Amino acid sequence: MMFSKLFKSLNKKNFKRSKKWEEELNKCIRCGYCYELCPLFKSYNWESDTPRGKLLLIYGMITGEIEPTQDIVEKIFQCFYCKNCSDNCSAGVPITEILSDARADLMEQGFDVEGTIVKIDEDLCSACGICLSLCKYEALTIDEKDKDNPKIVVDKIECRGCGLCLSACPSGAITQKEGCVVTLPELHEKVKEILSEDEKKLIVFACNWSLFPGMDLSESPTLIKTHYGIIVSMCSGRVAPELVLNAILEGAWGVMVAGCPPEECDHDGNYKTRRRLVLLKNVLKELNIEPERIRLEWFSTGESAKFSRAIDDFLKDLEKMGPINKMGEKKLEATI
Amino acid sequence: MNIDKEKLKKIVGENNFSDNIADLYVYASDASVHYALPTVIVRPKNTEEIQKIMRYANKEKIPVIPRGAGSGTSGHTVPIDGGIILDMKRMNRILDIRPEDMLVKVEPGVVDDDLNRALKPLGLFYPPAPASSRIATIGGEIAANASGVRSVKYGATRDYVYGMKVVLANGDLVNLGSNTRVHSSGYQLERIIVGSEGTLAVVVEATMGIRPLPKYRCLAVANFDKLKDAGNAISDVISSGSNPSMLEIMDKVGIIAVNKAMDLGLSEVGAIILFEADGNVKGAVDFEIEKMEKICKKHNGYEIKKSYDLEERTKLFSGRKKLFAALSRYKEGIICTDLADDMGVPNSKIAEAAEKIHEIAEKNNVIMAVYGHCGSGVIHTKIMLDSHKKSQWKDAERVVEELYDYIHSVGGVISAEHGIGLSKAPAWKKARSDMLPMMKKVKQALDPNNILNPHKLMDAPDDWVRATKLRYQVGS
Repeated sequence: MMFSKLFKSLNKKNFKRSKKWEEELNKCIRCGYCYELCPLFKSYNWESDTPRGKLLLIYGMITGEIEPTQDIVEKIFQCFYCKNCSDNCSAGVPITEILSDARADLMEQGFDVEGTIVKIDEDLCSACGICLSLCKYEALTIDEKDKDNPKIVVDKIECRGCGLCLSACPSGAITQKEGCVVTLPELHEKVKEILSEDEKKLIVFACNWSLFPGMDLSESPTLIKTHYGIIVSMCSGRVAPELVLNAILEGAWGVMVAGCPPEECDHDGNYKTRRRLVLLKNVLKELNIEPERIRLEWFSTGESAKFSRAIDDFLKDLEKMGPINKMGEKKLEATI
Repeated sequence: MNIDKEKLKKIVGENNFSDNIADLYVYASDASVHYALPTVIVRPKNTEEIQKIMRYANKEKIPVIPRGAGSGTSGHTVPIDGGIILDMKRMNRILDIRPEDMLVKVEPGVVDDDLNRALKPLGLFYPPAPASSRIATIGGEIAANASGVRSVKYGATRDYVYGMKVVLANGDLVNLGSNTRVHSSGYQLERIIVGSEGTLAVVVEATMGIRPLPKYRCLAVANFDKLKDAGNAISDVISSGSNPSMLEIMDKVGIIAVNKAMDLGLSEVGAIILFEADGNVKGAVDFEIEKMEKICKKHNGYEIKKSYDLEERTKLFSGRKKLFAALSRYKEGIICTDLADDMGVPNSKIAEAAEKIHEIAEKNNVIMAVYGHCGSGVIHTKIMLDSHKKSQWKDAERVVEELYDYIHSVGGVISAEHGIGLSKAPAWKKARSDMLPMMKKVKQALDPNNILNPHKLMDAPDDWVRATKLRYQVGS
């Protein structure tokens, strides 16, 4: 009994940032509504991957009921900060702020983690710095202590796991943990899986932040669900050009990238997407493929009806265009 | 507890087994005040795996607790004796939609809203949806006999269960009920599984009824200065033979809470009533709405707003939909606990019960909100208190006891749609002592080793505060 009390009091001291949230954690009624749209829960399906689960673990640690372990810390560092959870929490618990403070406390305690944070392969990285300009959260810096061998360093507390840097890295040196269908190989696989089904013509990359939470396409009277497949992307900005081209190579008649309107993107990723898609359309032209087969659309949260209509219209246009001619496809294959 | 972990891993696969504290701690609680650690968690994918787990657990007399979304409010899935948590969320296939028979066949892990998303393009819906339908699983809804805002017209889960496949405690697979909308063929055994809170069998498949989506829905909101007037209006609507598809009440405490949490700007009046009518003939819907509107006015209801528009209806309903969690924001320094949360009262007693709840709360230094599907007799409340103070838990104990005594005195029930679990068991056992021996015999017949969700319902401890650890840090 005495030992348990001593352990609890010692343990509590290590959570100076998280401890201030104890009252907020008590406000969480644990209804679980936060995990309805959680991409982590959808990927792993364990309740410990839900926002509710993470809050419970933080509560357990700051009250001394449980001791931090590597497994618990890994769970805390798995989050894309999409904030679907906070938006759904009518108790108003600031879930991601609590998570960031817990991360800082745990890092200070000496834990090292993989989580959903990006990783730099130093052998591949040329420290060109493109990634730095893309990160809105200043989670990437160049360490130039060794002038001959500069390194990109990731701030594990600040990294939101959005993956914008990953999709823009010319050396392919940035990676992220697999399992949540966010890495390029996983997204490629998903594209292939969708297109392997009969009648699938259109691949839609839909932004997790704005669009996915309000996505309910059953309102549309005309939408033919068998003709398109939706892939939830963590941000339109992480839809790498090769993903779009590969989808066409795999047999898609068209690709839609659906992102937040420019002023609404959390990561400013949509500006990058817009620029990339203009270039990609030029590539298609060169290959004798109609550039209209790539479409960029903006949607705000909850605009599911507009989204349905946009898919509907695009499918109708694709029907008129028909499949891509084989010559173009061969040229594309050679380009990639 | 001695559990052959390798055996379980072999049955469900390494990735669907955990004895890691990161998982055990999370699966130790639900939305109730309770918490107790399980020994292991397994996530079966099919009936065969469940049969193997049950055969093993039965032989070794290890508790097995089936779990859906973990959104229960009374500690139903809190593993009071440790043991195996059977996380059913991976069994989430909609097996068959038969519009021509108006039936669906689902696995227990299907989420209510997902089922409705699949039905909507066909012009159909599954009506009993509780407020937690976004995460609640059909299996969990069967276990609790869940109901919701539209149950006043469409009924509760029990009214939609026609057939079931269940795995018994000894691992045997049994078909219960029928594949038709009627049957008169012996004991209605599928019905005793409804509301059994995971104590009798593990549901692995359910055949449920569905309904056509109505063409028109009209939702209206009426303000009342006095809670009593709102309560009487509801009783009058029901006894007048009106046919609302929703009839909800929300008191001032609830209104203030949603205004604080969501900045809705609702008038902070004594109470509001939300009433809805639906159907395929607009004139008939208009008739029902106007009839209820007149009754509200008769009981001093005013500023009545109504709309057929989906967006407008969603806005009108948004406060009610999110009230449960929003109550946490009612006042600084207090938190919202899931206690005395879903009483059922006779239609004639709604106004009286609503006022009594506030009276008991005030007397015992806690705050309580009154809301819920009063049209079907359900009164939801929550006890809001300072969880750090030991004295407040004493206050809560008194509130629960006094409130349940009152509810029984007017012929009500202490749980209308959430179930008994742990926190309601003492009062329920006291009130239903005549029924308990029969329930125990049923349990003994189906689960002689008492491994399925043991120490819940009639076997739950007599002291809910000390039945498990409380999820809150309570000081002195």
